[in-house]
Amino acid sequence: MMSARIGLGSVTRRVAFAPVIGRNQIALRTLILKRGVQIQSLPPSASEEILNAQRLKRPSSPHFTIYQPQLTWLSSIANRATGGALSALLYGFSLAYLVAPDTFTSVNIVEFVAGLPDYLKYTGKLILAAPFTFHFWNGLRHLSWDMGKLLSLKGAYRAGYAVLGATAISTVALVLM
Amino acid sequence: MHVLAKTARASALRSCIRSFASSAARCQATPLEKPVLNKEFKIYRWNPDEPAKKPTLQSYIIDLNQTGPMILDALIKIKNEVDPTLTFRRSCREGICGSCAMNIDGQNTLACLCRIDRNPSKNSKIYPLPHMYIVKDLVPDLTLFYKQYKSIKPYLQNDNLPEQGEFLQTQEDRKKLDGLYECILCACCSTSCPSYWWNQDEYLGPATLMQAYRWIADSRDSYGSQRKEQLQNEMSMYRCHTIFNCARTCPKGLNPAEAIAKIKLELAAD
Amino acid sequence: MASSMLLRSMLPRTFASATGRNVLRSASQVRASSTTQYVPGGPIIKGTVNDPIEFPPPSRTHGSYHWAFERLLAASLVPMTAAAFVTSGSSYPVLDGLLGLSLVMHSHIGFDSMIVDYVHKRKFPILGPVMTWTLRTATVGVLVGVYQFNTNDIGLTELIAKVWTA
Repeated sequence: MMSARIGLGSVTRRVAFAPVIGRNQIALRTLILKRGVQIQSLPPSASEEILNAQRLKRPSSPHFTIYQPQLTWLSSIANRATGGALSALLYGFSLAYLVAPDTFTSVNIVEFVAGLPDYLKYTGKLILAAPFTFHFWNGLRHLSWDMGKLLSLKGAYRAGYAVLGATAISTVALVLM
Repeated sequence: MHVLAKTARASALRSCIRSFASSAARCQATPLEKPVLNKEFKIYRWNPDEPAKKPTLQSYIIDLNQTGPMILDALIKIKNEVDPTLTFRRSCREGICGSCAMNIDGQNTLACLCRIDRNPSKNSKIYPLPHMYIVKDLVPDLTLFYKQYKSIKPYLQNDNLPEQGEFLQTQEDRKKLDGLYECILCACCSTSCPSYWWNQDEYLGPATLMQAYRWIADSRDSYGSQRKEQLQNEMSMYRCHTIFNCARTCPKGLNPAEAIAKIKLELAAD
Repeated sequence: MASSMLLRSMLPRTFASATGRNVLRSASQVRASSTTQYVPGGPIIKGTVNDPIEFPPPSRTHGSYHWAFERLLAASLVPMTAAAFVTSGSSYPVLDGLLGLSLVMHSHIGFDSMIVDYVHKRKFPILGPVMTWTLRTATVGVLVGVYQFNTNDIGLTELIAKVWTA
């Protein structure tokens, strides 16, 4: 039916009775001639090349810029940021003491801090206390997960809010200390 | 007189039929006219035929009173009536095939299970799953995701076949699989995970890891130790930092974070 | 109808029989001489769509041992921090020493985890190893510095207490 419509009826009929090898060649040649369209024959393996050429042009979809702010990932990145900041302070001070032990003595540091105005002292304390307390309480939350506790979504959220509350209270307490 | 009346009736009928084709107003009881409730949808567009053009957000305004209740209904309406070039995956429209996973208003979920927020003053932003290579518009390339799923051998492995019949397990053992086997592999959780964003070529991601645990936890499977041994490296599982985005976003209400935490505990006890 | 179906069924076989082996050979050649290179995290994926991804060789020191050590270390920091609040470092120098060592190790693991997450060497073949070795040398230096501060000066806990009330 199809072959009759595109004018291949006689060809296929001839092909059906031709010897096997000749039959294929006739079919191929006539097909290519009759269509009048240039067809490039590619091996199946070429598909990978074509696909990879397309893949290289694909954009990567947006991620954290469009993702809804949620307690889950915000508390996680805050945990990393606070830990990193406090660790950087520890590393910075220790390396400074290693390089110049006479400049960074405890006496000098305490003297320097004592000479600061009160508002700077309190801001400094706040900047140190808030990350420390958050990292401490959120660390406990992580440890409870690693022990198999509070693993439900509800548990994780409740613990998250508890961490925020505990952070606020202990930060105020530390700043006033 | 009689003839006149007949022709008059006929012409009335004819005009009625004509009007039926256009407005359906005169011959039928008038349906309750709902007010127009226009809402703006902003949809991520990228066309592979014009790869140099940067992805953009295209705006569509839809009357919510002429649309079904779900985001997928709105997408289908846009594709049918406004812009047939809009491309997205969908199939079952009832949350069991996982095809229409996308990022709607900042959260990964299935478009067919996500109700449209009927507040017309707020627009709805629809993006494809985050940090994935985009084939077109809302269609991400999930090849790697499926290759990862294949790597954990998601089928029963047991060399000791029962002498007759099938593998049996107690009701308690069967219960351990609840909350694990229901996963439809929509990739919402994996693509919500920041660790998967940064390291998806090495880190398996929550969906695959939960399925890894589904076979570790199965009492009928005897390859548990090999399954666990595969994960003993820096990248495959230990890139999980218990962020919980996966459990938060799962449209089926499953908890991959819990499953991964249990694998970690089992590996530590080994 | 029948003949056309015959033709259609013949065609693929024609290609297969004539070039079957060549196709297989050229397939492997194409893959080897491919102009598109695999880039970690890039759009090109290793292997065909039907191959599973491969796992790195198993290593418990990078896997469960590392994880368990990290947790035990973090958990041990809790009582140490509590003790540091209650007592003073100068009367218990062991506490200062332990705290110095554990805090530095905890920090080192945290920094290392960031490097693995954000600048892994498979994506950043130069920057990644540079960062790793910078971190390692820094950690050694920090350990020496903390030890010297704890032995030659007043020690960590005492310093924090004094700065806090200064």
